[in-house]
Amino acid sequence: MKRFLPLIILALLAILPLIGLSTYMMHIVILVIMWSVIGMAWNLLGGYCGQVSFGHAAYFGAGAYTAGILYFKLGLSPWWGLPLTIIVVTVVSLFIGFLCLRLRGPFFALATLAMGEVFRVTSENLVDFTGGDLGILIQERTWVEKIWYYYIILFIAAGTFFLIKKVIESKLGYYFVAIREDQDAAESLGINTTLYKTIALCLSGILTGFAGAFYTNYMGYIDPKVVFALHDISIVTIMVVMVGGVATYWGPVIGAIIMVFLAEIIRSIPWLGVAHHTFFGILLIVIIIFLSNGIAGDFPKIKRLFRIRGTS
Amino acid sequence: MRRFSIIVVVAFLLSLFCSGTLLAQDTLKLSIPLPLTGTQAKFGEMEKRSYEIAAEEINAKGGIKGKKVVLDFEDSQGKPEISRSIAEKLIDVKKQPVIFGDYSSSCSKAIAAVADERKVPYLVVTGAADDITQQNYKYVFRMNPPNALYAIGLISFLKEVVKPKTIVILYESSDFGTSGAKDMAMHAEKMGMKVLVYEKYEKGAVDFKPILSKVKAAKPDVIYMVSYVMDAALLMRQIKELRIDSKLFAGGAAGFALPEFVVNAKDASEYVVTATLWSPQVKYKGAKEYADKYKKLFKDYPSYHGAEAYSALYIIKDVLERAKSLNPEDIRVAMKATKMETAFGP
Amino acid sequence: MSVQIEVFLQTLIAGLLLGGLYALIGLGMTIIMGVMKIINLAHGELMMVAMYIAYWVFVLFHIDPYLSVFISMPLLFFLGVGLQKFLINPVLKVESILPENQVILTVGIGMVLSNLATIFFTSDYRSTPVDYATKAWYLTDYWKAAPFELSLSFSWTVSFLFAVIITVLLWFFLTKTDMGKSIRATAQDLDAALLMGVNVKKMRVITFGIGASLVGAAGSLFIPIYYLYPALGGQFTLIAFVITILGGLGSTVGAIIGGLILGVFEAMTATYLGMGWAPVGRFLIFVAALIFLPGGVASLLRRKRFGK
Repeated sequence: MKRFLPLIILALLAILPLIGLSTYMMHIVILVIMWSVIGMAWNLLGGYCGQVSFGHAAYFGAGAYTAGILYFKLGLSPWWGLPLTIIVVTVVSLFIGFLCLRLRGPFFALATLAMGEVFRVTSENLVDFTGGDLGILIQERTWVEKIWYYYIILFIAAGTFFLIKKVIESKLGYYFVAIREDQDAAESLGINTTLYKTIALCLSGILTGFAGAFYTNYMGYIDPKVVFALHDISIVTIMVVMVGGVATYWGPVIGAIIMVFLAEIIRSIPWLGVAHHTFFGILLIVIIIFLSNGIAGDFPKIKRLFRIRGTS
Repeated sequence: MRRFSIIVVVAFLLSLFCSGTLLAQDTLKLSIPLPLTGTQAKFGEMEKRSYEIAAEEINAKGGIKGKKVVLDFEDSQGKPEISRSIAEKLIDVKKQPVIFGDYSSSCSKAIAAVADERKVPYLVVTGAADDITQQNYKYVFRMNPPNALYAIGLISFLKEVVKPKTIVILYESSDFGTSGAKDMAMHAEKMGMKVLVYEKYEKGAVDFKPILSKVKAAKPDVIYMVSYVMDAALLMRQIKELRIDSKLFAGGAAGFALPEFVVNAKDASEYVVTATLWSPQVKYKGAKEYADKYKKLFKDYPSYHGAEAYSALYIIKDVLERAKSLNPEDIRVAMKATKMETAFGP
Repeated sequence: MSVQIEVFLQTLIAGLLLGGLYALIGLGMTIIMGVMKIINLAHGELMMVAMYIAYWVFVLFHIDPYLSVFISMPLLFFLGVGLQKFLINPVLKVESILPENQVILTVGIGMVLSNLATIFFTSDYRSTPVDYATKAWYLTDYWKAAPFELSLSFSWTVSFLFAVIITVLLWFFLTKTDMGKSIRATAQDLDAALLMGVNVKKMRVITFGIGASLVGAAGSLFIPIYYLYPALGGQFTLIAFVITILGGLGSTVGAIIGGLILGVFEAMTATYLGMGWAPVGRFLIFVAALIFLPGGVASLLRRKRFGK
């Protein structure tokens, strides 16, 4: 049963649009899936390999701009951005990895944060290449109906999920966890930590880049402040994973549901008004105080809590 | 028991989700996306108040087609995804036949794309970047004169009064600033002015002195700045500190037109002209009443953003009353024919 | 030629003054991060709170923003102590896979603080209309024959001097008092400090309080030259990070040198490369410091002292 759970959920998701959701709901669901892709990608690097990145917006934005510039400069369909992202983001990841991976802990976190900002400001200033602050507007989007976008992002998400599962269950995954638990010990056992960290970073970056390229196609408008945003992309990514559950397969998905779907519900409560931010902030604080490994990570704890309630 | 409680919670959340859809017969519910939190919240708030003033007036005079207007504000937080969520929700769940509002250009573009695809008319209220209506969108209308007009207004003034030879252009790093500065540079060159420094800055910068000392060394006749309020105030203050004397400091609308500017820049804000689209003193019908009312309620004069919002609701009222029915296609036809004078102008 | 010199000197002055203020923002962060290894993303929001305190104190009681340092510092101290005691300590206590999960906590705190400010004070831009806002000293006023003109802003200079005084006081506190020494011990080696009988838990609470009150002072000093709105925190959090890394974790002297370097570097990029690039300069120097000088300026100082 448990082995087939991902397939069952995938099948359920595949028939979801057939029951006739409104486009509003479809939009939210698409965003949830997109954020789970980013979350899963981050989780590979941060959760399993222990390298907490504060700059995933760099990869997201690189992916988004790959697609955008193809359209803007060459007049090609931005969908070509998806395959091309692999090359572009690999280069970006190797560059960032080369600079930042020699650092550890909070230093790595802060260095990646800075890299994300460097990318934003650079793309703002390279006006001829990126359109600068005017951004890139793609007028003819491929489809009006959401259903195609839905299947594409679902396909990407499913691919990401199984890829990460495969990686984590392979030797590579054990190396990653070893690096997370104790880098020095891992190194003394003969693991080439720099190599494996770079692999994790590249994989994570490419998967995030896919989400970015998809974003360009789906939203039809990007500008540096949106796709390279520190708070709205990089930090939200971290929250998606940490709220959902670090180093779990389903954590990012649950996190994305909370960060997008629940946030939207809370935002829509009429009597809360502007205060929805406070409400959501308090919710995050409560989650992290009581479930410090996230919802999926501390699932046994929740189960226990409910059982005690149930018996008494 | 446990299952039951989960069902209750889910039902509660769902009811919250759908509660917006209930429509009473004799009211017309209009939802407006606005940035009520985040860095743009200031403008969102000002527009919100202005919409409310307009709605109250309209209701006092019998509403739209006899229906009472009820406004509902959705916080877009200045994020395009959320603006799009709201637009999809308005079109799909609330079946609102017309969309208007939002503040920043990026949010307006996100909504415009959706509205055009779904064939629902969208009235851009304050997204000032020019390319938004130059996209052959059939369903997107704007009431805000394109950004280029800011520059044109000033240029004619410069030509007749100051006759400068050199100009310095400073602008903030946003699409509003970029396009405003580009237009100004174009016009200035056409007039035979030399652009000595053409430079942008990061919004919210603390210290402008490095760039200003460069400006000072260039000795321009005119300094033209495209900035939002507080950047504008800081710029003027630091210009004064550095004793830069040009013939004229010119502001491109956005920041220099806000009432706070005068308070915050203190004595620095002399010799400043701005090309603004609107000020409480203009002689359009209703402008003064609106400004006084706003002042009375919030102890503060509104800027043109508020006036635009205020007028937007009147335009919507006018359009809805002329439209044959409340379906998007008829509204589009009516909107296309719109020509009216509001407190904001023609 | 003299114009070139004037531009250069004026840029240098601007950079130094800005750097002093940056240093004060960075000080609070460096202390918190040095002792607890916490990445405090609510740092800028704490500054925002302090600025609102200074603002309201000015509006309601007409107390000069510079004097309100003495009000905002203790208030922020208690706010910091409260946050640490009731929110951060419980999270730090639990063993979790990634210790960085406190990031969510500080993001959440920041969200709540800035949103509460929006609710209570609206999101209007505010500043204190003090009458010395545009006052400045000019070189030509004192030396008539000066070949070029330089100006020194009054409010910036006062803020800068305050920043220096506070740094010196803090340095004395950390190196000369028992409590300061315990804090530094906690920063260097938590377990060893525990064994030596330092009350680590209490030190953490106090440290966070001190960090918050320092950024509170920065808020009070910033309001005469800057402005205020609820969402202003983010950019200052970033600046604080840069200075912390540049100066070295937990080092007061490092922070002030780091702040000055950053200020001058930023001003120079703004003048000679374009102001749009100034933030790139900021982050490049940051990354360069991380890679070539991971211990920050402080490690250089230390090497000098104990090198032989």
